Amino acid sequence: MGCGSSLPDRDSRQLGRPSENGGQDAKNLRVKLVLLGDSGVGKSCIVLRFVRGQFDPTSKVTVGASFLSQTIALQDSTTVKFEIWDTAGQERYAALAPLYYRGAAVAVIVYDITSPESFSKAQFWVKELQKHGSPDIVMALVGNKADLLEKREVAVQDGTEYAEKNGMFFIETSAKTADNINELFEEIAKRLPRPAVS
Amino acid sequence: MSEMSSPDTLCDSDPDPPIRLDLPPLSASLFDAEPPDPQQPNGSALRPSSDPSSPSSSGYAGERGSSTATSVSQVEEVLHHEIEEISIHDSQSLSIDSHASWLPGKRHNDEDDASISWRKRKKHFFVLSHSGKPIYSRYGDEHKLAGFSATLQAIISFVENGSDRVKLVRAGKHQVVFLVKGPIYLVCISCTEEPYKSLRGQLELIYGQMIVILTKSVNRCFEKNPKFDMTPLLGGTDFVFSSLIHSFSWNPATFLHAYTCLPLAYATRQAAGAILQDVGDSGVLFAILMCRHKVISLLGAQKASLHPDDMLLLVNFVMSTESFRTSEAFSPVCLPRYNPLAFLYAYIHFFDNDTYLMLLTTGSDAFYHLKDCRIRIETVLLKSNVLSEVQRSLLDGGMHIEDLPPLPRSGSSHLSQHRLPSDSPERLREPNCAVGGAAGLWHFIYRSIYLDQYVSSEFSSPINTPKQQKRLYRAYQKLFASMHDKGVGPHKTQFRRDENYVLLCWVTQDFELYAAFDPLADKALAIKTCNRVCQWVKDVENEIFLLGASPFSW
Repeated sequence: MGCGSSLPDRDSRQLGRPSENGGQDAKNLRVKLVLLGDSGVGKSCIVLRFVRGQFDPTSKVTVGASFLSQTIALQDSTTVKFEIWDTAGQERYAALAPLYYRGAAVAVIVYDITSPESFSKAQFWVKELQKHGSPDIVMALVGNKADLLEKREVAVQDGTEYAEKNGMFFIETSAKTADNINELFEEIAKRLPRPAVS
Repeated sequence: MSEMSSPDTLCDSDPDPPIRLDLPPLSASLFDAEPPDPQQPNGSALRPSSDPSSPSSSGYAGERGSSTATSVSQVEEVLHHEIEEISIHDSQSLSIDSHASWLPGKRHNDEDDASISWRKRKKHFFVLSHSGKPIYSRYGDEHKLAGFSATLQAIISFVENGSDRVKLVRAGKHQVVFLVKGPIYLVCISCTEEPYKSLRGQLELIYGQMIVILTKSVNRCFEKNPKFDMTPLLGGTDFVFSSLIHSFSWNPATFLHAYTCLPLAYATRQAAGAILQDVGDSGVLFAILMCRHKVISLLGAQKASLHPDDMLLLVNFVMSTESFRTSEAFSPVCLPRYNPLAFLYAYIHFFDNDTYLMLLTTGSDAFYHLKDCRIRIETVLLKSNVLSEVQRSLLDGGMHIEDLPPLPRSGSSHLSQHRLPSDSPERLREPNCAVGGAAGLWHFIYRSIYLDQYVSSEFSSPINTPKQQKRLYRAYQKLFASMHDKGVGPHKTQFRRDENYVLLCWVTQDFELYAAFDPLADKALAIKTCNRVCQWVKDVENEIFLLGASPFSW
């Protein structure tokens, strides 16, 4: 969060700033990423694991949306700066979701592998984004809480099949054990469309 | 026992009739005539004394210290008070550290109206829909309370069918207070002996908090479907409501309809105000810099004014939401007194555990602009040491009654003169010695009517446990209600003595003063002391209030 510009950016009055205007070249991408999904599936935990390497088992309800950013370096010596909107999963915020996903280059849709309801909710979000999101949005389907194997109620195959049908990338993660968290974001980074070299 | 000075001015309808007396007016001549109190040559002879094991004199535990230090048994112990009758001799609670006595969040979710423990709780709050569907209950699981909610709804609609409105039902020690807000019904069942007006005010605030989260347009859901279930819309907000209800027993703002400022040097507050004004010019509706529940500085755009109740509800919403502390956030909020029908958008950022900035706009796409504003503000605050001054003020606290200067005095005084930080170990305290300040002064609240602000003295011995603080708070609340009861007339002063305190209240056009003294305090001395308090407040008003142009319009 260190952009120390002392003057307000005239073009900045949009949530979609990072992906919509310049400020990026072929080597250093800056992308807007939004996390969507039912309340309690672990969206904030995934982000905090990715950005700060932390896991807090006491659940803290997100209100509105939190904003965090993290930069990763890829093997081809490019960097990707993710500007992440971690949205609240509560029903009352559903109507406000476009505020956060508008202009997003990436949507990460999260469900909890122990909760079939959260899987249906994820499908709702996929449909919503297909209708109203950016046409070239990169979508990832994430089954979180993969460490709770004995409580699993959504089969891996269900996730894989649904993701394939909808042209998404699928992964199961555990924010608690950190399993597949970095892999998730690295895979997203690889799938991003590269801007033409100017 | 009550003390009377002019028996012809008794109030009616109060079981403990307040007595009016003729207080000398606060005039310069009075101060001139007043020799310095010989027993208190420098106003600091009486040092605070309290148990050294509880180093806090910085107020009630509602300021939420580290909650991790609270054991479950302590929490249970505090909750226990809500069931038990308050008794002065109940010493078991005195061991509670006033820092860590309250954890946010809903409790006793396993209870329902069949549980004995649920029935014994001293103060219930319910919110239900006009079709009788539960929306919120302070204790117990809403869904299990469907039958109980239906009963409450039946009572309300039975009276409404007779073209009337039920406001209050008394049943023995219990009061049942009703508030109807369109399709939403609010009910309080209490045996805390709080005045009806206070309880009703609390229901108004609970309703306001709901509007903060959902706006009044939630009513449309009921128009479409009278059986609409509102609970999912409030998902995850238990903390917000439990924290608000908790504040009814520690935060004077809930009945004073005023806000309070963090004590700061005038120049420091000016520096904070200047940078807020700077960003205010760029399309920010309200810019509010806070430390916990206290204002550091705030600005509203032209013609936009922020009601103290809106501020209370907004601050409660932000302070009780953990996710705002994790990272910067952008959230819709509604200010009921500003516009109950529409959301504003709040950019919220915590600079540290205590100090945070709220920037409100009408634009849902203003995040990056507000983020830039915050970066500019943060740079200035760091450069001008405002944030470190804030931390220092937190440690030092505000007005300590032990520092009450004598009258008359010359020169200006500063809050921090002759005083060690309240948490410093050098500040020696003798246990078991209940003295307080001059003439047995224990505590006071001063509310400036013109500024919409109040200042409350720090709690010190003997008001140093959460339980004693809550009792004093309730006494003030009662006093406030009796002074503002329109049916009784404009009270100017009130002197009330009971087994716990001498309470003195003084209302003028400019201010209201509420002061608590030792129950054995001398009346004439108490009155003199009140004059000294008022003078003291005036002397340091630069530091304890946000002055200048009315903060709400510039």
